[in-house]
Amino acid sequence: MAQLLQHLINGLAAGTIYALVALGYTMVYGVLKLINFAHGDVMMVGVYMGYATAFALGREARNSLLGVALIFAVAMLGCALLGFLIERFAYRPLREKPRLTALITAIGISFALSYGFQLDIGFLPGASPRAFPEVIEPKEWIVIGDRDVVVWNWQVISFLIAVALMVALQYLVFRTRFGRAMRAVSWDHRVAALMGIPTDRVIALTFMLGSALAAGAGLLYAIKDTSVSPLMGLYVGLKAFVAAVIGGIGHVPGAVVGALVLGLVEEFVVGYAASTWRDAVAFGFLILVLLVKPGGLFGRVAAEKV
Amino acid sequence: MMETPALPVPEARSVIPAGLRGIFPVLVALVLLALFQWLVSESPFAVYLLSVMGVNIILAVSLNIVNGMTGQFSIGHAGFMAVGAYISGVLSLNLKEVALSFLPVAASDQVLFTVALLVGGLAAAACGFLVGLPSLRLRGDYLAIVTLGFGEIIRVVVQNTNAFGRALGLSGIPQYSSPYMVYFWVFLVVLVARRIAGSSHGRSLWAIREDEVAAEAMGVDTTGYKVRSFVISSFFAGIAGGLFAHFVPIINPGSFTFVKSMEIVVMVVLGGLGSTTGAIVAAILLTLLPEGMRSLFNALGTEGSLAQKVDQIRMPIYGLLLVVLMLSRPQGLFGVRELWDVLPRWIPRKRRGLS
Amino acid sequence: MSAAVSVTGGAQAPLLQADGVSIQFGGLKALTDFSLTIRQGDLLGLIGPNGAGKSTAFNVLTGVYQPTRGDVHVGGQRVNGLKPHQINHLGLARTFQNIRLFRALTALDNVKVACRAQGALHPHVLGVGAKMKNALGNYRDWWRALLLTPGFQAEERELTRQAEHLLEVMGLSHRRDEEARNLPYGEQRRLEIARALGTKPKVLLLDEPAAGMNTREKADLMVLIRKLRDDFQLGVLVIEHDMKLVMGICEHITVLDHGETIARGAPAQVRSDRKVIEAYLGDSYLESHGGAA
Repeated sequence: MAQLLQHLINGLAAGTIYALVALGYTMVYGVLKLINFAHGDVMMVGVYMGYATAFALGREARNSLLGVALIFAVAMLGCALLGFLIERFAYRPLREKPRLTALITAIGISFALSYGFQLDIGFLPGASPRAFPEVIEPKEWIVIGDRDVVVWNWQVISFLIAVALMVALQYLVFRTRFGRAMRAVSWDHRVAALMGIPTDRVIALTFMLGSALAAGAGLLYAIKDTSVSPLMGLYVGLKAFVAAVIGGIGHVPGAVVGALVLGLVEEFVVGYAASTWRDAVAFGFLILVLLVKPGGLFGRVAAEKV
Repeated sequence: MMETPALPVPEARSVIPAGLRGIFPVLVALVLLALFQWLVSESPFAVYLLSVMGVNIILAVSLNIVNGMTGQFSIGHAGFMAVGAYISGVLSLNLKEVALSFLPVAASDQVLFTVALLVGGLAAAACGFLVGLPSLRLRGDYLAIVTLGFGEIIRVVVQNTNAFGRALGLSGIPQYSSPYMVYFWVFLVVLVARRIAGSSHGRSLWAIREDEVAAEAMGVDTTGYKVRSFVISSFFAGIAGGLFAHFVPIINPGSFTFVKSMEIVVMVVLGGLGSTTGAIVAAILLTLLPEGMRSLFNALGTEGSLAQKVDQIRMPIYGLLLVVLMLSRPQGLFGVRELWDVLPRWIPRKRRGLS
Repeated sequence: MSAAVSVTGGAQAPLLQADGVSIQFGGLKALTDFSLTIRQGDLLGLIGPNGAGKSTAFNVLTGVYQPTRGDVHVGGQRVNGLKPHQINHLGLARTFQNIRLFRALTALDNVKVACRAQGALHPHVLGVGAKMKNALGNYRDWWRALLLTPGFQAEERELTRQAEHLLEVMGLSHRRDEEARNLPYGEQRRLEIARALGTKPKVLLLDEPAAGMNTREKADLMVLIRKLRDDFQLGVLVIEHDMKLVMGICEHITVLDHGETIARGAPAQVRSDRKVIEAYLGDSYLESHGGAA
């Protein structure tokens, strides 16, 4: 029983992080109908920015609240900028081209980032993973019984941060002017443009927002994992994408639920079956979901307008 | 748009009887391949390089059937290659001591090798069916993700299976492969791709690529055709994997990662999505270029590290190449046309197959 | 046209029948209780203001959308739940409002795609046995293509011949080897019809076939549609905005507004229908003009 509870907690903690990344996929897919393949890698770049900032701050400063805030701010702003640049120079010129063109571009960017960061030329970090400095000192906040169930402080913190960001996002999308514009663009960006909505700006902002969220999530992940590597974007990104599809891509709460479900499933497989199968779980689960409910848990398979 | 009108249908001037047209090119190829084998077999380096190139050509041409002709986008081709490599590799390992008594040893080996290849190819095709069925029912971009995920599943399965040597890989697979065998399959995959392209099946695939809704409305079973093209493509990827397994000293999960898949994707996109000859040219180019650069750096006697870095730098360059191609020349080298359509006018042309 | 009607009469079984078909997208009722019967030799019109549900009706009939309620029968077989290509095999072909040709294929290949799909006509009885047979036949087809058997070559020649004939009927022979995207607009519309005919339909659904054409072209098209109906022994359903075209060629018209059928009948009858005028011209028109025109 205690074991079950522990797995539940770990699964939820992992799921919230996937959720933050998944939101980026779902938002971009919502406005552009594009699987932003490079999303995970943008996240990875953000984590390296945070990593560099943490080092620049030194041991003292990065353990203060202000230091942590600064690390997150640098990573999130940096990623927002990167997201903006990618959208502006790689995706925007292709917006009216066949969807495949943009998809290939996204794959190309993903590849260039994840393998470019494996070079050890100039400022690039090289292929081997690096230890992410201890930003939040791990503490056991809740201990039940004789360490039967342990909840770590970073689990609670990342859970709270993730929930806060999701609530903020839900508010943004459904309660603000920008959110309305976003939904309009998502519905039909040409018509939205005719209605006087600055679609370019809305799409750019959506990218920036998604990238910033991803950077935040990536940092939480790196803190949990205490490591950072050029390939983390690919793996975390893919799982988050799977989560978004499971929830029904384009559907904001769906992405969150999908991510939590995925986090739990992974945790249970690792806990009760074998940890070496972890990486296969997400995709096996994805294929299963696509077979049973092709639109994801909350989405519908939208019939193409004829 | 600027095309010359197509010439009359070729059978009017064909000297080969209709009943033989199907098999004729195969007979010619068998003879030419023997000659080719005799020419290159002296140099181990040439044999190896040509084998790698041939495998890449098979991979690129087969991927082009899905990504080019059908307009879907699979990025997990290395996964199917892995299936073929491991299945046929394990089979050959286990049959190492077996010989067909009624045949000379060398012939018996080649027969067993062919059987192993086919089994590997069929296993890959079966995987293609399993993966394609759910994802091809959905919008095309799901396929990208699912095939990528499939590659990962294969990797995890291999790493957890003793028979496949786990992370260490399989070594000691008999080295049955030869340029003759590799290029026989190169020839077969090209023939199959071209004949599909020129048949009603090919037209249905092109129709799906152009407009899925309209194709469905015109009676094309789009899901069925997509799955079939995917199965055929996976089969040849499996064959390529089997060939690969029989000329490299060791196969391990590292040989069939996402990087390999991307390499094939880059070949297909560079050659022009839909162009078989484009895929061939790009595969040759992208096999020789890194080799050439390595030799060049070595010959120039620059820092040894530069030659070693070629492999490392290749990957990000492929990524950028895709982006630059999409932004400046999304149709790749040839678009959907074939080599003979883009050759200068004074060279006699073949009739345009399609589009 | 009168000849065709008298020959075929109205007695034979309907080729296409929709009974009380409704479809809902979320809360939006796109089509409510839509009924329609097409027999051989019929030339029916489907009209209504923008967003009335005309194209939705087409999409339900052809299987792109599934009806939430009601049944559609094609050739006597219930087609609810079948895929568009299966429904097409039962004898229903269509064109699209926003032309959807296979743009990079030549005119000839566009038609050949359609001709071929019918070549292997399988009864879509959804039993396991039939499905197996279907699949096996399919694989045999692929092998024949890969081995270039003489039978396959003959079949290809036959397909080419059929497609060339259809291009000729539609006056497109001179465009045989041109890519569809390079054809002028009017010819693209005609190529779509040729392609639809390639599937050897019993019922032809035309979605705004005259859109974007000038008056002369429209007049030619009217003649052509009638000729096609007679020569190919079709039932034809036309969606059209141009009232003149519809009134001119259709014997029976159904009028949709907000997804509901507000009128049906002969052109003259529909033209003077109060509800129709209201839908097209608004209540204010009626008020100021004091009733039916």
